Amino acid sequence: MKPKIVHKRKDCIGCNSCVLLAPQTWQMDTKEGKSRLIGSKEKRGLFVGEIFPIDLEANKKAAKACPMHIIKIENA
Amino acid sequence: MKNKQKPEIMAPVGSFAALQAAIASGADSVFFGVKQLNMRARSSYNFELDEIQVVADRCHKAKVRSYITLNTLLYEHDMALMKKIITTAKEAGIDEIIVQDMAAIQFAKEIGMPIQASTQLSISNYESVKFYSQFANTIVLAREVDLDMMKVICDRIREEDLRGSSGKPLKIEVFVHGALCIAQSGRCQMSLLTSNTSAQRGACLQECRKKYMIKDEETGNEMSVRGGYVMSPKDLCCLPFLDKIVETGVSVIKIEGRGRSPEYVKTVIKVYREAVDAIHENAFTPAKVNTWLKELEKVYNRGFCSGYYLGKLLPDWSLCSGNKSTEERVYVGRVSHYFPKAQVAELSTDALEIKTGDKLVIMGDNTGVVRTDVTSIKLDDKFVDSSGKQNLVTIPLEKRVRKNDKIYLLRKRQNV
Repeated sequence: MKPKIVHKRKDCIGCNSCVLLAPQTWQMDTKEGKSRLIGSKEKRGLFVGEIFPIDLEANKKAAKACPMHIIKIENA
Repeated sequence: MKNKQKPEIMAPVGSFAALQAAIASGADSVFFGVKQLNMRARSSYNFELDEIQVVADRCHKAKVRSYITLNTLLYEHDMALMKKIITTAKEAGIDEIIVQDMAAIQFAKEIGMPIQASTQLSISNYESVKFYSQFANTIVLAREVDLDMMKVICDRIREEDLRGSSGKPLKIEVFVHGALCIAQSGRCQMSLLTSNTSAQRGACLQECRKKYMIKDEETGNEMSVRGGYVMSPKDLCCLPFLDKIVETGVSVIKIEGRGRSPEYVKTVIKVYREAVDAIHENAFTPAKVNTWLKELEKVYNRGFCSGYYLGKLLPDWSLCSGNKSTEERVYVGRVSHYFPKAQVAELSTDALEIKTGDKLVIMGDNTGVVRTDVTSIKLDDKFVDSSGKQNLVTIPLEKRVRKNDKIYLLRKRQNV
């Protein structure tokens, strides 16, 4: 099972840390000033997407660095 | 002789309930944050873009001025949102935007939206004030200036007839109540260094409020200094010398605390309203100050100090983790119905029972804050002394409350 990321995007303050640490998974949305989980789908206000195992470490760093603690990694 | 001009009292608003409380308590103006671009992005409710109009309308109706605070540092990817917020604010009739970043200052000027130069800019002298007057109608001074400096700046504005960007006399605004930074106000990077949470992006983790130990690495011995609270300042409270602040000629006095409860807003604004009115009537007495201070101590505080305004040496440490309020609120339940003709409220005591003689505070988005004493309780049409838990009871209540308003029991703090 691929690792899954859940992003509570509503609370993002646009610090850019996740984009810096895992650019393969995150991009900055310049319209809303919030990061976007690439390839994710919205489910009840949360953005959910899968990542490749090779990107797991970078995303763990991104989750740790997130000042709002809104990046959760599942199936890791 | 009456003091000629009353300063505007500006209230912090972190919810619709706080907005109602501020208006009902006599605030002349309110400030609030929208989405993530403000210094309380993390710790308070922030209004949505489509709520700006609602806030503006409520303020217009109450003849209260409204300001949006958009005072974080801005990154490249924030430009579209910043412009959207300022444009929406202008269309909604918000009076001014509180900003620090030059990009926001520049954009507001372009579209003709009046601004306040935020305290984040640390403006501390007249030349600086003059510079920002090209863009701003109101200048928020740094919290680190003292009363003499404040007066010199206000005097020179009058002498030189310095005007703001809208052509009206420039206004000077100062903080009079609320939290103080251990760093120069708005310049602290401690949270960013320890946890990647930048205060400059509204995500301050309040590292200064925590307990710390000093450790001797050689022996492993640990020492506790001041109970561990080595850098947590007391809160600013200018009430005892508010007359001196007013005498400097400042136009706006501001209460900090968008993260605070509606009840806090109600209590603090009411006290400052009474104090400003008393100063105007030459009726500002030490006895009144004592009474007002007791009121202020009931709500959230870390102990009070005069900040830097009196030139007193800081630090004045809080010596505790946070709240020193003499009263505390405990959740009881929600309002299930209000009968306006009978002036009776039906309450659902989900979490806690209430007794006759209890003091309750009821808060809601449209209600604001209502305080009441429980004079009698009816359960199943019979008078009872205690409601019991998880019951539907009615109490007489003159002031209107609404369905789903939250009910709290107000009691003396039990673990001071």
